[in-house]
Amino acid sequence: MSHDETDQARRDFLVAGAGVVLAAGLPRAAWAADAPKPPADPPGTIPNKIVLAEKDPAMKPHSERPLTASVTAEYLGDDVTPTHRHFVRNNLLTPDFDEATHKVEIAGLVDKPMTLTVAELRSRFPAVTTQAMLECAGSGRTGYTPRPRGTPWPTTGGMSCSQWTGARLADVLRAAGVRADAVHVAFTGADFGALPTIPKVARSVPIAKAMEQHTLIAYGMNGGAIPKIHGHPMRVVVPSWAGSASIKWIGRIEVLPAPLKGPYMDASYRIPREPVEPGSKMPPDALMTEAWPVKSIITHPAPGAQVSRGKPMLIAGKAWAGEHDIARVELSFDEGRTWRNAQLNPAGDKYAWRTFSFAYTPARGGYTTVLARATDDAGNTQPLVAAWNPLGYFWNGWHRVGFTVTA
Amino acid sequence: MTSFQRVRGAAVAFAALMCVTAGVSIAPLRAQQEEPSKTLMPGKGAALTMAKCSICHDITHVTRSRLSRDEWEDNIKVMIARGMPAQPEEDRQILEYLATYYNRDKPPPAADPAAAAAGAAPAPERLLAERGCIACHALDKRVIGPSYREVAQKYRGDAAATTRLVAKVKEGGAGAWGQVPMPPHPQVPDAELKQLVGWILQQN
Repeated sequence: MSHDETDQARRDFLVAGAGVVLAAGLPRAAWAADAPKPPADPPGTIPNKIVLAEKDPAMKPHSERPLTASVTAEYLGDDVTPTHRHFVRNNLLTPDFDEATHKVEIAGLVDKPMTLTVAELRSRFPAVTTQAMLECAGSGRTGYTPRPRGTPWPTTGGMSCSQWTGARLADVLRAAGVRADAVHVAFTGADFGALPTIPKVARSVPIAKAMEQHTLIAYGMNGGAIPKIHGHPMRVVVPSWAGSASIKWIGRIEVLPAPLKGPYMDASYRIPREPVEPGSKMPPDALMTEAWPVKSIITHPAPGAQVSRGKPMLIAGKAWAGEHDIARVELSFDEGRTWRNAQLNPAGDKYAWRTFSFAYTPARGGYTTVLARATDDAGNTQPLVAAWNPLGYFWNGWHRVGFTVTA
Repeated sequence: MTSFQRVRGAAVAFAALMCVTAGVSIAPLRAQQEEPSKTLMPGKGAALTMAKCSICHDITHVTRSRLSRDEWEDNIKVMIARGMPAQPEEDRQILEYLATYYNRDKPPPAADPAAAAAGAAPAPERLLAERGCIACHALDKRVIGPSYREVAQKYRGDAAATTRLVAKVKEGGAGAWGQVPMPPHPQVPDAELKQLVGWILQQN
């Protein structure tokens, strides 16, 4: 599906589903009106109202402190997610860092520790641009029953696929003389919390993923500088892994002989080795979250859209598969009894989602549903309902959209 | 009726319809848009829970949740790891409160006005909780900041202490008790500040 077709599809949706657009806008107004007197914004931070003013009006905050916000699937039809629709997930406050002075420190098991500004990253290392999936580990959490704790991401909110520009982390680590006994690489954000005693946000990934050529220290997003809320002036991009690895406002990169220990490694972002009974505690031998499993969303039509019987329409959406490639996307118009293959756009960058589409002519009137399920090149197919886990990560159940066919 | 109002009315009706139909679907077609409460259910430990949890996050993270006692216990451990300043006794009070009032497995107890009246703290202590002072301070133990007793001892006999401390709470301070600065509290009215500081200075 081309941009033009996507735009046309969106215009159709905007006309047919005008009510839905407004409905999506209403909760935000209510949120703003009901907000309690917020604590004064600490020095060196960006207030939420400034962050949200640059976002799509359809973007709905899920919490104000820390700020989390997303749009839902019907706003994610673009091949490249525009910056104003990219989801927001903070752990702490939104810091106001300056590109001229902010530095990242490269430390640990390296022969030549160094600190780098954005200007030094630009001048010393080749610039790479790649489109890459970022998705919060808890994206889709509200699909789980019983509801695990954590940000209540909608089943189709908390994922985006923008274009990122920066230096390959591998190039930087090689220049720093990364040693052979490196096992993990830890990323620590320079953002801060309400008290100086609040620990920094820090995650580590295995050296192989750190050295993978699409893992970046990014300083550009969709052709511009990275906005403050998305990690200005630089952040890590670890494509297709649980989003928490893609540390914003990167301040320190440390090469380690073992996985990092800390609250964001041991207490959060873990998933049971084997499925557990819904409502259970986290088993002690749980694994760290790594790549997302295969997943898809339907971006058109919007839920509740009205379409005309006998008039051809496009069903469209996105599919992605962590470290794998998408093999196929199937759609069902009869609640899963039969499935039909959707058409896949040509593959783009390694970690970009694939746009799929399906020419559909509604033959009968009334309420109609469409289900999507994707399969990756290793043969993994999305489940009807994802395996429950105590922190509600990696929801990849089938997305289902209902719309009405009129005469 | 303007066309905007008509469209908006249709949107509300549509959203209501979707909530009904979502009940029978494999996954909600449209997430329910309930706004979680911004206040905690009244009960023993509510003020302490509000003060500690609100340091870093909206209280809606609590009010929208219904978890088992095990999950709350686990969650409090995570919050301590993420920097929640609290004494072990306070952790236990918070767990007891959350496991009683926000429990997935059993409904909260009915409001008991007699117990609430009996458990209500006198004015200064209630204000310390409501204004979030107890997030960082306790009567006789150091949490993040000094205990009220330490403050009272330090300023004993200092006639100008009240005025200075009122200004310090309002504008924030740094260095007097260690590395962690006290954040400013411009939202607390002067009369209340004087009452609070006066009470603190009597605690030696």
